[in-house]
Amino acid sequence: MRKVLLLAIGGLLCFSVAALTSPAINNLVIASTQEPSNLNPWEGAADTKENVMGVFNIGLTYFDSEGNLMPGLATEVPTIENGRVVVTYGPGGKVLTQDVLWTLRDDAYWSDGVPITTDDVLFTYEVQKTPELPVTTRAFSSLIKEIRRVSDKSFWISYSSPNLFFANVGGAIGLARFYDIAPKHIWEPIYRQVMEQIQANPDKVTEIIEGQFLGAPPATGTGTVVGSGAFQFEEWQINQFLRFSRRADFFMDPPGPAENYVQEITYRFIVNQATLLSAIIAGEIDASDDIGLAGLDPVVLRGQLGAQATVDITPSGFIEKLNFNLFPQCEAAADLLLGDKRTRQAIIQAIDRADLAQTVYPGATVSNSFLVAGDVGYNENLNEWEYDPDAARALLAELGWSDTDSDGWLERTTADGREIEFALHWVATTASFRIRTGEILQEFMADVGIKLEVENLPGSVVFSSEYLNHGSECTWRGIVEYAEAGGIGQAPADPLSNELWANDLMATAVDPLLENVPLPDNGFGGTNIMGWNNPEFDQMRATALKEFDATRRAEIVKQMQVLYNEELPTVPLYDRVEIVTKAAGLLNYVKGTAAARAQTWNAWEWGWEQNGAVAVR
Amino acid sequence: MATYVIRRLLQVIPTLFVISLILYGLLALKPGDPIDELRRGNPGFTQEDYDRLRRLYGLDRPWYVRYWRWLGRAVHGDFGPSRQFGRPAAAYIFKYRLPNTVLLSGLSLLLAFLVSVPAGVISALRQHTVVDYAVTVANFIGVSIPIFWLGIMLIYVFAVHFRGFLPAGGLTTPGVTGTWATFIDRLRHLILPVIALSSLQLAQWTRFMRSSMLDVIKLDYVITARAKGLSEWRVNFHHALHNAILPLITLIGLNVPLLFSGAILTETVFNWPGMGRAIFDAILVNDFNVAMVSLMFIALLVLGFNLMADLTYALVDPRIRYD
Repeated sequence: MRKVLLLAIGGLLCFSVAALTSPAINNLVIASTQEPSNLNPWEGAADTKENVMGVFNIGLTYFDSEGNLMPGLATEVPTIENGRVVVTYGPGGKVLTQDVLWTLRDDAYWSDGVPITTDDVLFTYEVQKTPELPVTTRAFSSLIKEIRRVSDKSFWISYSSPNLFFANVGGAIGLARFYDIAPKHIWEPIYRQVMEQIQANPDKVTEIIEGQFLGAPPATGTGTVVGSGAFQFEEWQINQFLRFSRRADFFMDPPGPAENYVQEITYRFIVNQATLLSAIIAGEIDASDDIGLAGLDPVVLRGQLGAQATVDITPSGFIEKLNFNLFPQCEAAADLLLGDKRTRQAIIQAIDRADLAQTVYPGATVSNSFLVAGDVGYNENLNEWEYDPDAARALLAELGWSDTDSDGWLERTTADGREIEFALHWVATTASFRIRTGEILQEFMADVGIKLEVENLPGSVVFSSEYLNHGSECTWRGIVEYAEAGGIGQAPADPLSNELWANDLMATAVDPLLENVPLPDNGFGGTNIMGWNNPEFDQMRATALKEFDATRRAEIVKQMQVLYNEELPTVPLYDRVEIVTKAAGLLNYVKGTAAARAQTWNAWEWGWEQNGAVAVR
Repeated sequence: MATYVIRRLLQVIPTLFVISLILYGLLALKPGDPIDELRRGNPGFTQEDYDRLRRLYGLDRPWYVRYWRWLGRAVHGDFGPSRQFGRPAAAYIFKYRLPNTVLLSGLSLLLAFLVSVPAGVISALRQHTVVDYAVTVANFIGVSIPIFWLGIMLIYVFAVHFRGFLPAGGLTTPGVTGTWATFIDRLRHLILPVIALSSLQLAQWTRFMRSSMLDVIKLDYVITARAKGLSEWRVNFHHALHNAILPLITLIGLNVPLLFSGAILTETVFNWPGMGRAIFDAILVNDFNVAMVSLMFIALLVLGFNLMADLTYALVDPRIRYD
C-alpha cells in the first residue's frame, strides 16, 4: 500500500515538473477575469472583447502607447492637410458636409489570405445599418450619409454633421463596433440567410438574430474565424481560453526576425481575482490584461511578484464620480437641498479625495473635471476643491443646517415646517473598492454632520434602467457612485459621449422636453440621470459641436469644464487606473495611455528578451 | 403501481409549469436586462440604441408575454441562446457546464465516502484513544474551515509555494494534447478542488459514521456474534458495519442533487466552470435563458428524485401500497 502511494506521488511529481515555460517555446499566456460573449464584430461591449478581438484584428487606425493616432489597415490617417478630409461650409460658417477619403493598404489580407478591400467596407456598413440586426450602437454610423467606392482599395465616407473624431478607435468611424471592417466572404452568406429568414418569418426576428447572427459559427468560434490582425484565431475552449498563432503574412513586422517574437498567444479566463493572482505568482500566467487586476494595490503587488514580473499602471480613461439626485420631484433628495450647488460644494470639500483615491484605488489621481487628464480638451486650470471640512461646515450652515439636538447630525426646518435630518443615501455596486469607499465616505460625511446611509447593490441592479433612470421617482434618493468614460478616444463634447447635457440645442430651441433627462414624458430615456439642467452648459455644448476647428472646439470644452467644476452636478473623485503585470523578459506589452483602448493594440511586437526580441516601447 | 407512476408523471407537467412561471416571474422582477449590460460597456451608447435593441429582443413586452413566448419555445426543446456566450443555453449548460460539475462533485462525494467510513469506524472502535481524539479534532477542523479559505490555502501551498506542483485552477492546461497527457492534466486540475469540496462532507460523515457505529456495536446481536467466537474483523466489518452504514447511505442519497447543482465557492476559487457558477453568473448578468434552463433542470431533478424515493419505499416496505 505504501509503495503504491509513493509511486503515485512520484508520478505526480514527474508530471508536475514537465511543463515548459512560455519563453522556452516562444509563447505567451495572458489572463483576464472576464470572457467575451462572442466574436461578432458588430455586437458587444468593450472590456475583454476589445482586447481579445485586438489580438487577431486591427482597425483602419489605432492609438499607440504615446497616444498618437497611427494608420492600421489604412495607408495614412486622413487629415485636412493631406487632403483626405474635405469640409464644405454654408452661410455663417455652418458645416454642411464632411468627407473623408480612406485608402486600404495593398498588403492588407484577411488571415485566410483573402485581400481586404472596399467591398468588405461596404458590406460592413450594410450590416451596420440594417435595422433588423442588433448592432450594439449606431451612434456614429447614423452620422454617415453615404460611402462611395473609388476603387478596390479606396472609398469616401460622407458625414452629415461634423465628426471631428472620425478616426478614433472604438467604432467612431461608423463601421463595425470592433475594429471597423468585417470579412465579407465569411459573413455575407450568414447575413443573406438571416435576412431571408427574417423576411420569411417576420414574427420570429428575435429567435433568428439570436440564433443565427449572434450565434453564427464565426461569432462563437465554432466555424471559420478570420481577422485582419497580426495573429490568427485557432480555438476557443469556452470558459477556459482562446488560442491564436502568429501570421506570417501580416503587413507590420517587429524589428528583426519575426521568429524572435511570440509565436502563439493563449488568452485564459480566470474569473476569481485571487485565483488569477495566485496563477500569476505561480508562473502559470505571463501577463494580465488591463481588466483582471483592477483595484489591487500596485505596491503590494510588486512586493508579491518580486523580480519575476513587473507591474505597470496606466490610465483607464474612466472617472469615478458621485452622481447627485437633482430631481425636485424626489422630495427626499430635494429636502437635502442637493439641487443647491452649495450643498454639492460642501460635500466635495468634506472629502479628502487624494486620501480616498490612494486608499481604495492605489495609483489613481484626483479628478476635477468630466474629462480625464491628458484628453485633448482637458482643462488643467480648474478649482481643485482641496479637502476643507471647515469650509464644508460653513457652507452647510449658510444653507440652514445645524445640529440643534446635539446628536452629531445636522438638521434643518423645511419651508413647510418639517424637521429634516441630513441623512444622505449613497448607492454603489458591490465591488470591494466601492464597499471600502462607502465606509470611508461615511467617516468624512460624519465629520461635517452628514449621516451617510450606505447601500451596496449588485451592478446589474445599480445599472439597470429601472433603477438608475428613475431618480425622479426616488429609486435612489441621494448619490449613486460609478465610473464614466472621461473623453479619451471619444469626442469631449460629443452629443453621444457625456451625460451632462439636458436639452439638445443642436436640433431645437429650448423646449420643455428635456431629451437627455429621464422623465415620464420621454419614457425615462436619456443618460443625464442626475436631472441636471443648465441651459448655459447646453448652449456651449451646441456651439462646440458646430465648431470643426479642433483647437477652437477644445477651448469651448474647457469653458464647459469651468462651469461643471463650479456647479458640480457630479463630484469627480479620481481618474481610475489599470494594473497590468508582465513576466520578466516580456517586451513591448505596453498600453501606455487610455487612448489605446485595448491592451492588445500591438500584439505583433510582443516578444521575449530571452529569445532575441527587441524593445521598441 | 403503474397507474400511480403514470399519475405522478402527469403531475410533473403542471408542477413544472408553475415552477417555470414563478422562476420567470422572479427573474423578470429583478431590475436590469441584457441591454443594460451593453450600455455599460459602450460609452457612446444612446437611448435610441437602447430602445431599438429592447424592441429587437422583445424586452419591451410585458414579462408574461415574454414568458409565454419562452414557454412556446421551451416545450420544443429550444431554451433560447445564452446572452453571455452566444450559444444555445441548453447546449451550453449540458455540454460545457454539467459534465464538469458531475465530475467534480462525484469525485468529491466518492472521496468523502471512501475516507469517512473507515475513519468513522476506526474512531468508534478505538473510542477515547489518541486515534479517536485525532480523528475528532480533524473533524472539527474540517467542519470549521470555510471551503473558500481552504481552497485558497491549497492553491497557495501547492501552486504558489511549491511552484507548479499542482495548477492554481482551471479545467485543463492550454496546449496539452494526447489521451494520456490530457488524462493526467485533468487529474492534476481535479486534485485540489476535490480535496476542498470534500472536506466538509468528509468531516460530517466521519462524525456521523462514528456515532452510528458506536450505537451499533453496543447492540445485542453484535455482542452475540462476538460471544459466538467470530473474529473481531468479522464482527465489526461484517455484522456491525452493514447496519451502521445504512443511515449514512440515506444521508449520501440526500446529497445526490449536489452532483448537479454545483458548488459555487469551490468552482469560483478554482476557476472550475461548473453549474453553480453558471447559475450565479447568469442571474447576475441577466442571462435569463441560461438561468431558466439550469433552474428548470434542477427542478426536474428534484421532482424525479422525489418520485424515485416514493417508489423505492413501496418496493422495500411491504406495508406501503400505491394501488
